[in-house]
Amino acid sequence: MDVRLANTRRLTLNEKNFIKTALLSEIRTDGRKPFEFRNIIINFDREDGYAEVQLGQTRVMGIVTAKFVQPYQDRPNEGTLSIYTEFSPMADPSFEAGRPGESSVELGRIIDRGLRESRAVDTESLCIVAGKLVWAIRIDIHILDNGGNLVDAANMAALAALMTFRRPECSLGGEDDQEVIIHPPEMRDPVPLIVHHLPIAVTFGFFDESVVVIDPTHNEEAVMAGRMIATVNANGDICAIQKAGGEGVSQRVIMQCLQLAATKAADITKQIKAAVEAYNKERALQMIKREHTCVDTNVKEGEDQTLDNKGISELVGKYMERLKLISGESYPSQNINGEIETKSLKRGTDIHGIKFSSTPLSWDPYSKGVDPEFLKASVALQGFSTQNKKKESSYEEKPSEAERPESYEDVNPNSSAVDASRIEMQMIGPKTLKDAVKPKNKRKKKGSSMI
Amino acid sequence: MENKKSSSPAGFIDSTVVPGDVVLDLSSMTNQTIKIGGGLRQDCDAISVMKAGTLRFSKPNKYWVESSQKRYVPCVEDTVLGIVVDSKADNFLIDIKGPALAFLPVLAFEGGTRRNIPKFEVGTLLYLRVVKANFGMNPELSCTDVSGKAAEFGPLKDGYMFEISTGLSRKLLSSPTCPILEALGKKLSFEIAIGLNGRVWVNATSPDIIVIVANAIMKSESLSTAQQIIMVEHLLKNIQ
Repeated sequence: MDVRLANTRRLTLNEKNFIKTALLSEIRTDGRKPFEFRNIIINFDREDGYAEVQLGQTRVMGIVTAKFVQPYQDRPNEGTLSIYTEFSPMADPSFEAGRPGESSVELGRIIDRGLRESRAVDTESLCIVAGKLVWAIRIDIHILDNGGNLVDAANMAALAALMTFRRPECSLGGEDDQEVIIHPPEMRDPVPLIVHHLPIAVTFGFFDESVVVIDPTHNEEAVMAGRMIATVNANGDICAIQKAGGEGVSQRVIMQCLQLAATKAADITKQIKAAVEAYNKERALQMIKREHTCVDTNVKEGEDQTLDNKGISELVGKYMERLKLISGESYPSQNINGEIETKSLKRGTDIHGIKFSSTPLSWDPYSKGVDPEFLKASVALQGFSTQNKKKESSYEEKPSEAERPESYEDVNPNSSAVDASRIEMQMIGPKTLKDAVKPKNKRKKKGSSMI
Repeated sequence: MENKKSSSPAGFIDSTVVPGDVVLDLSSMTNQTIKIGGGLRQDCDAISVMKAGTLRFSKPNKYWVESSQKRYVPCVEDTVLGIVVDSKADNFLIDIKGPALAFLPVLAFEGGTRRNIPKFEVGTLLYLRVVKANFGMNPELSCTDVSGKAAEFGPLKDGYMFEISTGLSRKLLSSPTCPILEALGKKLSFEIAIGLNGRVWVNATSPDIIVIVANAIMKSESLSTAQQIIMVEHLLKNIQ
């Protein structure tokens, strides 16, 4: 009891008075202007559906998961969306583990209302068998650090996680089309959720003498007289408004706040979308499989993946490049490829596979980084970014060539930057059908990779 | 055993020590008085380390362990900034960012008698001195210096308080003057009180000076001297 008493964060009278007087001259304690948001950092470090948002000192994590349930009786062909919040005691001394406090319930309700009432997530697409089986999407929000304005940060984390979440694709099959087959991610790429728009929550703090600030910090929240949270989307539609008690505010001020919220929502939507876009690019890069010998099955899977991710295919088309192996036969290969091949051969390559990687690959003990001069020469040759994102769909046209060893440009997953000075190419010497049959050759060839 | 090391603590000074290290063996030193500061404990004849950090020595005979954390471990003779939490018959209960609330005796003021007990509201900020700090007990504070004079201790009016790490507050209090304070002091005029428990109070004539000083100090922890000076110049350019 004594320890908890000692741990509680206390505000001095000096701080309270200072915050109020400084706000009268439009000065905030962290140097911001009254209508300025703090720095927003969005991280997607781990798997799909995981997002961490930092708003100044406030840190919130959002995780999205999905499972099968029976739909509600009055909505038989819609999926469900539920939000759970967890206020970790690590975030603030006043948070207790276990039962959610009032603010925790309020936070969950605000985010839930913003997403559900505005139909931001398309729930009808979550239906698998009407009346029997639907997807239930669950959003878990964990507060990691409380630096003020948890609602906005939690909302952003929930949206970012929803945008990157992917659920397994499933189809109906079986005798009477009543069996549901869930395709594992290796077979079919998981499918993203359909999110129509992003409802962004913007919190306003009201102080005495009709002072209004956006995005209050922890200190300001302790001093403010009232607050209002407006959930607006980039189109200017108001999805939800929450004003629970606190000081009375005139109608004019509320209208001004809503207009301000609309502009802020547009900015934040842009930021979230840019972050999600960068994450999707990286994800696509990681999905390219490294091919060292020709393996039929791998190729086919790759095709499926190509077709599924339509969003990236245009980008892919732009930057595609494929290198074909040198073999006895002549391929309709592009000139550029040919030049690169000759260049690399001149470097005293082996008969077996030579792999150039920009950085030493973690799984390959023998690979070394790429020679920078070679890299510069080859990049100059090509004259454009050589990031390879996907195999071309034209690959389908040549199934007979599947036997021939194919090489792909592998890009180190970390190099999603546009500089594209990293090329990973593999040149395999003359091969025969025998090589295609023995997958063990893979290992040997990796071992002999040299620069 | 490393008798050499334990008898001559020179090996440990200014190097990192961890709890359990024995830095001084008193049996080998005779007729010497040694002052032990924070982070060290006497176990019969051995002085052992209680807190991880760097061992420091100042002539003629003071040893202590320095480490930077957000939490403060009360140590005797430290000057701290405390917030009044409650007032009882005999003591005020003060929060000094330590593991337990500290007691400030009602009479520990210059000329303090039962008749003129000061009245502090909950939330008052005080500049205090730690008198007793034993493990397991609530620390005791005082608003006077050793000789009983007021000497700047007592409540701080107006201004703004913010929290920093203990390492940074020690840096700010070091002499010669810390570069960030020098750089700020050359251009701005402000009043500042630094507590070794990681609390700083700043007061100035206008709020934007206070905000600049507070933010400059909070950000200066990880910057080198040159970087600190550059940051201050940058901040000052924006207001003038």
